[in-house]
Amino acid sequence: MSDTSEKQEAVRPRPFPDDASADYWRAANEGRLAIQRCRQCRHWNHAPSMNCPACGSVDLAFEDVSGEAKLFSWTEIHHSPGPAFADKLPLLVGIVELVEQPHLLLVANLPGSRAEDLRLGMPLQVEFERISEDCALPQFRAVGGQS
Amino acid sequence: MWAFANKVAVAGIGYSALTRRSETPLVQLAKDAIDTALADAGLTRRDLDGIATSPGMPRYGGAKGTVEGVDVVTPWYLGEQLGVQNQIAYTGWTNGMVTQAFIDAAMAVASGVCSHAVVYRALHVPAGSYINFDSAYASGQDQYFAPFGFSVPPAWAATVLRRYFEMFGYSREDMARYIVDNRANTQLNPNGYWLGKTLERDDYLDARMIADPMSILDCDIPVDGCAAILLTSAERARDLRQKPALLSGMAAGTHSPPTGVPMTLEDIWTGCEQVADRIWASSGMAPGDMDNAHLYDGFSPFVFLWLEGLGICKRGEGLAFLRDGHAALGGKLPINTGGGALGEGRLHGMTQMIEAASQVSDRCGERQVPGARRAIATISNGLTKSTAFVFSRDET
Repeated sequence: MSDTSEKQEAVRPRPFPDDASADYWRAANEGRLAIQRCRQCRHWNHAPSMNCPACGSVDLAFEDVSGEAKLFSWTEIHHSPGPAFADKLPLLVGIVELVEQPHLLLVANLPGSRAEDLRLGMPLQVEFERISEDCALPQFRAVGGQS
Repeated sequence: MWAFANKVAVAGIGYSALTRRSETPLVQLAKDAIDTALADAGLTRRDLDGIATSPGMPRYGGAKGTVEGVDVVTPWYLGEQLGVQNQIAYTGWTNGMVTQAFIDAAMAVASGVCSHAVVYRALHVPAGSYINFDSAYASGQDQYFAPFGFSVPPAWAATVLRRYFEMFGYSREDMARYIVDNRANTQLNPNGYWLGKTLERDDYLDARMIADPMSILDCDIPVDGCAAILLTSAERARDLRQKPALLSGMAAGTHSPPTGVPMTLEDIWTGCEQVADRIWASSGMAPGDMDNAHLYDGFSPFVFLWLEGLGICKRGEGLAFLRDGHAALGGKLPINTGGGALGEGRLHGMTQMIEAASQVSDRCGERQVPGARRAIATISNGLTKSTAFVFSRDET
């Protein structure tokens, strides 16, 4: 197989929604960041699950959040995670902490940022990257355009 | 304290050849390791009545290897292959790390379910890249990682190491001493994969990045091979060929991080501290009682995070301990004296277990810590399924 045909076959992995995550990805596809929240104890929960990890309640719903976050950590990936990423290296991946609750953490890429400009706690704002007709990924961009 | 402290012992150890990709099927490597462990103890297959492992092949993305005897070796299959299936009284299989199976096997011996149990870990390196997420869809926890290119375990560790660097002002320069010394330890270990290949500081600093700040030299080396440990009662072990290494305590962890991320620095600290509380309670010992330590190094940052979690160093000071050479042979607390998994090869914690048991029974040759009385082994990253063990010299 030539390099060209391999590239044509490379499809970026798309999330496969399940009972817990369907509403999360549906909201993202509509350009909203909605996080699961317990209606009983008001705990925010990510990744979504079928009951609340804080109180055990099954009374959960998704609520839109501000989309504001702080950078918790990051890495710059140099070894391709799979065929879809071979032409995207080096690839920045951040762990972002949503402002709604301490330790409410998400994985996202950091479009527009360079590794050397990143700092712990720097403010970020959500945006959405469409990767297919029915899927958009929440991504986070530095606020204030430092990069 | 654990009611069975010092009543179970390691009586034999065995390795197959460890190579990057072996022509020999995995089941044969497993048989080699087990026969070696039995012979080491002065036993034969006829004496074996317990067998335990965790057989899974850890591969991230791509086809998961499940072929019996090639990708995995289950205890039932291995029992048949060894011709011992009709004498096995205890079979252990966990889906955690193999050291969870070690806990079960130790309890089986302590309670008299079996007399001679072998715990083995056989690992296969599949053809192609170990990490290659080539599916079009990501389900389960992968759905939150793989679409972002974050399906790479070294990248998970990189986010932990980056946060640690930023919080405490360290850099890769501070890690170099440990990596170089660890490779030097490997040169004294006849089983070491990297035998004959020493490292200089610049080799580490210039190493190929996998996920910055994690380089290829911060990751253990996947090998085709098997290691086996023969457990029996302390009483029985005293009649066998080798000096026993007594099992003084054991513990397992149950702390998980939030599921939206694979791991965080803070959760690893919390997990390591939980395992630490349990191992010190189980063994009735304290950090100061250890004169050597074998800390899991599937990824290098776990070494100093275990130092901190175990209470040997304060949070943020573990890397300085490594940087200043205290972990080297002859240092304050020699760590991973056989080169750990970074140097010996990836056997999912068997390296740490075997080295700890070997140190307290004077079996480490040129890398022996003179008169070592107590050794701790920790396995995995501190989170759920992590384990810790204390081994003691038999002084009866």
